[in-house]
Amino acid sequence: MGSLNIGARKDSKSRLKEQSALGRRRRWNMNKPLIIMFLPIAVFFILFKYVPMFGFITAFKDYNFADGMFGSPWVGFDNYKYLFQNPDTLGIIRNTLVLSMLTVFVGFPFPVILAILLNEVRRSWFKRWAQTLLYLPHFLNWVIVGGLVLMMFSIETGFVNNIVERVTGSAYPFLFKEGSWITIFVASGIWKTAGWSAIIYLAALTSIDPSLYEAAGMDGAGKWKQIRHITIPGLMPTIILMFILNIGNVMDVGFDQVYVLQNPVVVNVAEVISTWNFKVGLGSGQFSYATAMGLFESLIGLTLVLIVNGIARRSGRGLW
Amino acid sequence: MKPTNGEKVFYGVNYFILALAALSCLLPIIHIVALSLSGNEAITLGKVGLWPVDITWTAYSKLIEDTNILGAFRNSLVITLVGTALNMVFTILAAYPLSRKHFYARRFLTLAIVFTMLFTAGLIPNYLLAKSLGLVGNYGALWLPGLVSVYNLLVLKSFFENIPEELEDAARIDGSGEWRIILQIVLPLSVPVIATIALFYGVAHWNSFFNVLIYINDPERFNLSVLIQNMIQSQSLMSELAMLDPDAFRKLTPESIRSAGIIVMILPMLIVYPFLQKYFVKGMLIGSVKG
Repeated sequence: MGSLNIGARKDSKSRLKEQSALGRRRRWNMNKPLIIMFLPIAVFFILFKYVPMFGFITAFKDYNFADGMFGSPWVGFDNYKYLFQNPDTLGIIRNTLVLSMLTVFVGFPFPVILAILLNEVRRSWFKRWAQTLLYLPHFLNWVIVGGLVLMMFSIETGFVNNIVERVTGSAYPFLFKEGSWITIFVASGIWKTAGWSAIIYLAALTSIDPSLYEAAGMDGAGKWKQIRHITIPGLMPTIILMFILNIGNVMDVGFDQVYVLQNPVVVNVAEVISTWNFKVGLGSGQFSYATAMGLFESLIGLTLVLIVNGIARRSGRGLW
Repeated sequence: MKPTNGEKVFYGVNYFILALAALSCLLPIIHIVALSLSGNEAITLGKVGLWPVDITWTAYSKLIEDTNILGAFRNSLVITLVGTALNMVFTILAAYPLSRKHFYARRFLTLAIVFTMLFTAGLIPNYLLAKSLGLVGNYGALWLPGLVSVYNLLVLKSFFENIPEELEDAARIDGSGEWRIILQIVLPLSVPVIATIALFYGVAHWNSFFNVLIYINDPERFNLSVLIQNMIQSQSLMSELAMLDPDAFRKLTPESIRSAGIIVMILPMLIVYPFLQKYFVKGMLIGSVKG
């Protein structure tokens, strides 16, 4: 009996081995077409995403066109010494932070408020129309939105200044004063994005249990109290998540928005890293400075995302 | 239940605020339409609000005769259609293998791809690469570097993952290869999400500005965004127009030509947007649930 048992065990073991060899071959056969499919994708990501990452060595070189990226002489951290000692470039880093912080902190409540208001609408035709119009600016690019802003606020023929002139007697150069330029910058960002961003909060609102509102209504809580004690706490997880995501993008003031709105008069507050890179790098061919600034921007961005995700993970809401 | 007085006030205020916000999105566009159709004098005197004054189509006819707007419109179409088609083919080719559980190293590959979303090389290295590949100056520079958007790839991958495996197993037993499974089972089941992603790609191409600005130097090959941005920024174009045809120009202001350009660019979007809105919203939601 004993020997027979062992024999049987051996038999099953070798069969298992055979089976797993068969499984391996089967898996390989199933993988072959997938690998062929994925090959161009791998080439794409290596060539267009990973190869350029090595371009960051330009940040530590004195780039000249004759020697190219690899032949140009190494200069260590000299480019960074220049960037961090020059008041102009420091001002550009400051502008980037100021404009993006204002965009995040001032702009943040608007989509939440819009979602709460839309959620309280009872007439569905009104809700549909309001949503269609509020989402519309998201689909216009910054050239269009910038064009609208420049024309509305233009001194001679702008719609806004026509009204201002009628009331105060003289037009106001909105786009040529630093304070009003920053206000217009932030407001135009809100106008373009708030409606579309509200979609996420509207989706989160549908998951709040309606019986909570009924119970609160029975207990005599008015609309205002219901929003404060049911709607907002229900939205809190989404609010925190979106806030974290936005903080991660703080270094990333979109090029397009600044580029179309800025003018030489307000350049002290309106020049940011991306527009500076464009002018200094591609415009005047100073590749080393522009790459150094770009690398600095990317590293800060990556660090912020990692920190923010670490914090989020502690509360069980990390992205990975 | 009858609404209490407090509730009546609340709803009234609510409708009022939302109506204001919604109108703020619509009125600037109507104002631009009115400007593009109004006469010179009315615009300079500031008489144009939401309705055109001294209606004239001169701005549009000048725009078509004296600028390359029709060429730019065609360029925008080519960039959008070819770009979106390429995007879709390669996004599907990327998403399908990554969604298969038996695919080797799918976790590692997914992480390697997501990393490219978090850390980017920056403007100059990308430009140098495009230059060394000979892409600068032609539309390849607009299509190739953005061939697969990581965000859209993740959306499509998670959708493919949720298609029941039994369907594919059955097809496999019947002797279908992976390509047939994709074409005959996976893609037909994914039509809504594929339409949504194609729309996202299409809008991005139609609106593309920065890439055309840095990679395309020949004004004949500009798209609408760059052409209109040049019209908005430059006074010289306007004075050129004035010299070409002083009589017609007396009836025009730069504002009406610029407005007409803006309308030409957003009109296709305004026409399709109301019909496609629900797909866009759906796509936004799939993505955010994933996030």
